[in-house]
Amino acid sequence: MTLIDDFVLLEKHGFRLLPYRLAKDEGEAVKAAKAVGYPVALKIVSPEIEHKTDVGGVKVNIKNEDVLRLTFREIVQSAKGKKVEGVLVQAMARKGVELIIGGKKDPQFGHMVVLGLGGIYVEIFRDISARICPLTVADVDEMVSELKVHPLLEGARGKKPINKKSLEQLVLRVCAFMQEEDLKEMDLNPVVFDEKGCDIVDARFSR
Amino acid sequence: MRKIVQNLKPVFSPHSVAIVGASETPNKIGNVLLRNFLDTKFPGKIYPVNPKYAELVGLKCYPKVSEIPGKVDCVIIATPAETVPDIVEDCAKKKAGGVIILSGGFEEVKRFDLAEKIKKIAEGSGMPVVGPNCLGIFNPYTKVDSIFLPMYKLERPKAGGIAFITQSGAVGSTVLDLAAYYGLGVSKFISYGNSTVLDEADYLEYLMNDKETEIIILYIEGAKDGRKLLEAMKKVNKVKPIIALKAGRGAGGQAAARSHTGNIAGSYLAYQAAFKQAKVTEAEGITEVFDFVKIFHQPKPKGNRVAVITNGGGVGVLTADCIETEGLALATFSEDTKAVIAKILPSYGNVANPLDLVADAGVEAYGKAIDAMMADPGIDALLIIVLTQTPPIDERIVHVLTKASDARRKPIATISIGGTYTEAYRKMLESKGVPSYNSPNAAVKAMGKLILYAKYCDQLKKLKG
Repeated sequence: MTLIDDFVLLEKHGFRLLPYRLAKDEGEAVKAAKAVGYPVALKIVSPEIEHKTDVGGVKVNIKNEDVLRLTFREIVQSAKGKKVEGVLVQAMARKGVELIIGGKKDPQFGHMVVLGLGGIYVEIFRDISARICPLTVADVDEMVSELKVHPLLEGARGKKPINKKSLEQLVLRVCAFMQEEDLKEMDLNPVVFDEKGCDIVDARFSR
Repeated sequence: MRKIVQNLKPVFSPHSVAIVGASETPNKIGNVLLRNFLDTKFPGKIYPVNPKYAELVGLKCYPKVSEIPGKVDCVIIATPAETVPDIVEDCAKKKAGGVIILSGGFEEVKRFDLAEKIKKIAEGSGMPVVGPNCLGIFNPYTKVDSIFLPMYKLERPKAGGIAFITQSGAVGSTVLDLAAYYGLGVSKFISYGNSTVLDEADYLEYLMNDKETEIIILYIEGAKDGRKLLEAMKKVNKVKPIIALKAGRGAGGQAAARSHTGNIAGSYLAYQAAFKQAKVTEAEGITEVFDFVKIFHQPKPKGNRVAVITNGGGVGVLTADCIETEGLALATFSEDTKAVIAKILPSYGNVANPLDLVADAGVEAYGKAIDAMMADPGIDALLIIVLTQTPPIDERIVHVLTKASDARRKPIATISIGGTYTEAYRKMLESKGVPSYNSPNAAVKAMGKLILYAKYCDQLKKLKG
């Protein structure tokens, strides 16, 4: 399964991802960026790279074609020697709170979902809360209130609270998806939330 | 509840007990067991079983269970693992009520074949089997006691409302010893070992309908069936509070995980999730199990507004700090309460929560303040700090606190910090069923857990209409 196959399956299950295209070369990248609209993010797609950011495989907020072309070359260079499927051209996500919504099949309890502070520091802060599938909206609300990052979601420091409804729906959808596809592990990370809704920036799962 | 689980009744309340592997050699398990039954004056029949003897400590000894003339309700087996399946078969033939297998040497040493045989016999006959590889059961109400540890080394607690389900015999026995030491009463003790036939979820369900059990402590290392445990916890915790202690709480996930989630989500996270979903109270160690279980005997509070009474200002402040950390609220006193307090305080005293009665405070001042707070509708729970080192405090305080606890109007927890002298007071209080703590942190955390459980029960009631 390639990243794109994963994305397609997610969309089939009702997950709304940020607009994206896979570009095999620079020319395709230019076309793709026009299609999804500037500014865009570029991400290396390689089965041999687990954490893209660590190798310099992610560049964001690219505003025009000149920068896009330069950045495309840079990114391809960063993955030199590795098998590369292409470069993902993706619309930029909204600004907001980055969360991770993940899932795992536990040998004892079966499928479970995990909600936490997302982004690249997930493993460092480990601000997470978990529940066994299936769960209810009330369970999701409890998970949210258990997070240290909770005040940020409620709108700390003059910010508006995040859209709770879209968070609840997404957590329940992850739960259903995990069970329907009998997945071993899954990450939606980060998912960026603001008062209007959310953007799923990256996703991965394994069976 | 499965039929085989219901069938446990005679095992816990037998009129007759057979001890297979009974022995005359001191310190052998088969000897300790027999002596324990004789020493506790078990009121039913005791049948030693061992082909080696015709008679043991004055009792007729039988070569096998099926040769015992009368009914046999409970069979305790303490013979080598290899011999156990045949003995269990013989018990089933005899239509014994149930079997407790103390012997080890089954799944834990990969003898799945032996375990499988036992399982087949039990399921075929509907005869419940506790264990193997465990301490079995203890029921102070009926004096059944398969714990093969001598009484002088491991004190047995009195009869009461706390049931204890434990996978580990070692943890189980220490908890039992501590319960006896603190004067806490036990309803049933179940050390279930390998859970070959009956597992933790089965015992939870059995205890839900057990009339002597009020609170259930569950010590678990690894569940046999996580989903089944979750469902059982959800069901039982609605009726009786469960306090769970999970061993093996390392946070690590699988090292080879591909995803962030796989990395951070270890097996303990799943247990934590299950406890939360079932609203089970999780303790972080043996000490906390006792901290929590004590307070769960108190009446359920209606809210989280706590009043603090103290005879030492500093400890009052420390307690208020903990109240804030635990997310509880300091109650505001009513005008009536304030008027009562103003009368008992010295001229330099301050009517506030925490209420500092100051070091001059005698037992009477405590009594009056407690009475006022019990009547105050703005107060849901009381934390009463008694520093026993001050001159006016004497043993009458035990009476005042016991009265407040026995009235069962609002939950109370007492805090006394100190050495040998203070500990003697604390033991007195505990033996009278008054929760006593030697630190504000422990008392407030325990009160917080009770408040949380009470809130859950209120929500359930509202749902029912």
